[in-house]
Amino acid sequence: MRTIILTLTAAFAAAAASAQTTAASAPETLVIQNARAYTMAGEGAGLIENADIVMRGGVIVAVGQDLAVPEGARALDAKGRIVTPGLFAPWSQLGLVEIGLDQESNDASPEGDYPHSASLDAADAFNPASTLIPVNRAGGVTRAVAAPTPGDKAFGGLGAVVNLSGRPDSIARERALQSVAMGYAGAARSGDTRMGAWAEFRDALEEARAYAANPGGYALRPRMTGLTLNDLEALAPAARGAQPIVVAVNGAADLRALIRMKARYGLNVIALGATEGHLVARELAAAQIPVILNPLLNLPEQFEMLGATQANAARLHAAGVTIAFYDPPSGSHNLRLLPQLAGNAVANGLPYAAALAALTINPARMYGVADRYGSIEVGKAGDLVLWDGDPLETASRPVAVYIDGRATSLATRQTRLRDRYRDLSRGDLPHAYRGAQ
Amino acid sequence: MATIFMGRAATLAALIGLAACAPQPKEPQPGALETAGKPSRWAADPFPSTYQPYASGVTAIRGATVLTGAGTKIDNGTVILSGGKIAAVGGADVAIPDGATVIEASGKFVTPGVIDIHSHLGDYPSPAMESTSDGNEATAPNTAQVWAEHSVWPQDPGFTRALAGGITSLQVLPGSANLFGGRSAILKNVPSRTVQGMKFPGAPYGLKMACGENPKRVYGEKGGPATRMGNFAGYRAAWIEAADYKKKWEKYWDDKEAFDKKKGAKPAAGAEDAKEPEAPTRDLKLETLAMALNGDIVVNMHCYRGDEMALVIDMAKEFGYKVTTFHHGVEAYKVADLLAENGICAAVWADWWGFKLEAYDTIRENAALIHAQPNGCAIIHSDDQYGIQRLNQEAGKAMADGNRIGLNITPEQAIQWITLNPAKAMGVGDRTGSLETGKMADVVLWSADPFSVYAQAEKVFIDGALMYDRSDPKRSPRTDFEIGQSGLGFTGGAGQ
Repeated sequence: MRTIILTLTAAFAAAAASAQTTAASAPETLVIQNARAYTMAGEGAGLIENADIVMRGGVIVAVGQDLAVPEGARALDAKGRIVTPGLFAPWSQLGLVEIGLDQESNDASPEGDYPHSASLDAADAFNPASTLIPVNRAGGVTRAVAAPTPGDKAFGGLGAVVNLSGRPDSIARERALQSVAMGYAGAARSGDTRMGAWAEFRDALEEARAYAANPGGYALRPRMTGLTLNDLEALAPAARGAQPIVVAVNGAADLRALIRMKARYGLNVIALGATEGHLVARELAAAQIPVILNPLLNLPEQFEMLGATQANAARLHAAGVTIAFYDPPSGSHNLRLLPQLAGNAVANGLPYAAALAALTINPARMYGVADRYGSIEVGKAGDLVLWDGDPLETASRPVAVYIDGRATSLATRQTRLRDRYRDLSRGDLPHAYRGAQ
Repeated sequence: MATIFMGRAATLAALIGLAACAPQPKEPQPGALETAGKPSRWAADPFPSTYQPYASGVTAIRGATVLTGAGTKIDNGTVILSGGKIAAVGGADVAIPDGATVIEASGKFVTPGVIDIHSHLGDYPSPAMESTSDGNEATAPNTAQVWAEHSVWPQDPGFTRALAGGITSLQVLPGSANLFGGRSAILKNVPSRTVQGMKFPGAPYGLKMACGENPKRVYGEKGGPATRMGNFAGYRAAWIEAADYKKKWEKYWDDKEAFDKKKGAKPAAGAEDAKEPEAPTRDLKLETLAMALNGDIVVNMHCYRGDEMALVIDMAKEFGYKVTTFHHGVEAYKVADLLAENGICAAVWADWWGFKLEAYDTIRENAALIHAQPNGCAIIHSDDQYGIQRLNQEAGKAMADGNRIGLNITPEQAIQWITLNPAKAMGVGDRTGSLETGKMADVVLWSADPFSVYAQAEKVFIDGALMYDRSDPKRSPRTDFEIGQSGLGFTGGAGQ
């Protein structure tokens, strides 16, 4: 059977159509040809020039040069454009928040002295129809951690690894992680001292382990930690190191305390924030603690952030720490700006390949899903982004985004509004009739 | 969800909540006001600028791509800075004065100093704590009597980071909790012991007003306004009172002038001595509003929604004042024609959205569509201590998205979104914002195309003086707060 070669524009239309109509059908066989592929497998970001990538059944089945196009495959000529793995946002409240300040549409964090914490489960509330999903997907984000954040209590709850297809089945891994606020954020929840925060953390871990050892005999035992039985059960995997726990912490002293905690309890720790991480970079590397940081932070916003510098990413990487990025204020709405964070890190000394890794394979490694996501390798999910320029540049945007081997739509509520108001003339009917279908 | 889990609580407070928009002069004098070229009868600035440019020789930058801010681009251009002013701008043929320090800048870019029309530096400084949170006088819906400069902490390290991002002038606004938030301060980004030492000489004051969600959220359970209609009733009642106050003072000045004239003349025989008119009591709140009505103070209105902007435009006509800029105009693209027809700028982010419902309808082409109107005036602003460090990148994103829908925006136009347009909207466009002969020598030398994510401001000149040099630690300011905090091998300072 003859292969159908499509232009990029035609491929768009096909992509949009297929995203709308093929929700239940299996992904077809797709071949991307002639790409400048940063596969993230191997040195130098695994760059392959003139690469062909074949996806079938939702996964990558071949990567290389001059591959034969399988029968019946749809082929797309990348014309030398850059292809990367889909971006993986290592920390977000995607699907849990629509409008930050609106209570009804914001499930990111419990209010007041609500009793449950560690047992709150993102999978119970994740909304794949959120408009944040297409907006971020159109920016090249295909995978994300969606996790609740702590309310009045220190533990945030259970996060999930999700894809950004917007499909009902987009949760890829439930109960993928736990989180806890330490440092100043933890102190504010624990008697206003950092000592209190660490003491509560230890108590909680020990109680969760004790509960797990004998759940039946635990129900009537008096508890000091303020954790419900459900919380103890939910915390148990993290407490014994079987589940990653994201620990929000900024200062060098707190990072050292975290290193001690990890050693004492055998935790699988990911540091979130780590604004002074560069001051303890070698220790973090030795302790194998990966770091999710905002590489733009360079202001002494708190005393625990006196060492804030835009060189943080480069110095952590140079010491051997696995890094990834997040930006709290733009947060879940603008995960699409992760490449800009990475570009700024490069401008401040981070090697380019390391910046791409921070956007793709590193988050997958942190959460133990690198066997499925984060690189362009045979057997991995077909999460790919085709870019119209250097992915880290301000002017570059994706021209095609594939998730689990399917082309996805790049149309968003924002592009619909743009198209509606592009022409402000009165017209035959009001603007509300334009693009309403 | 009031969580500090992720840090930067102050930024969010500034953004979603609450931060995130004179009497008797005869002769023009330092700090005196002018309206349409004539001295205003309203108050001189009682806290006048003491800023003086630092020493500078003659500097020639040559070989760079120059985006002049005046709408032109010069390849292999030359810019001469002399006596604190732009002395010449042109091609390779511009003569280099004898004794000039020559900077070879082939492959690099030169632009005017970047200007942020919407900042809270100094008012919400770092470190962000209760003790330093001075940006919102959220005690009443109308606090037109407060002045942002009385909160500005000149030691905010944020000023130094902004300098390393190419910022040479900025407007510090009070927050947006109130219908009338107070007066803004327009500053040159030069470190000083006092805020007066930073004040832009001769710049007019701005007034911060706010539409929509913030005032009604803050005052809904504190006596109102609790609704958008309550917001408008509050604005209009205040303008009515201010108009009366203005009339009272104008009558007093007329009467006083007549009295003084009569006193100087020979009294007519038998005429009784006229009684000297008594000055009305000053009211700081009404004075600021009256000066806005008189055109002495520039009105900056925080307004997300397009429909609210249209209402504000009519209100301004009702009371005879001018809104110069809508800030945070997330929906400006929906009424871009209306804004252009009324000569109003829209200051926007490139892509922030969704932190509250009135910020839900952002589009990435917003700035470009505002710009594309005939006489459209687009400005990219920050409202953020990190955003202010890379307004160039924000403009770059917005330009790229505009061009993707075929708006053909050139770099020489887009640079105006962060230079000349904000300068004009702040009332200082005749002095800074573009590289034109005679203007202040506020200049940035970039390592690369400033719209690139990889570009760094290498040298920043303010009034001709080299105030920041990425390669020279002696030209990198460090605030009092940061000095001596280097025990952990951390140095602090502008280029962090």
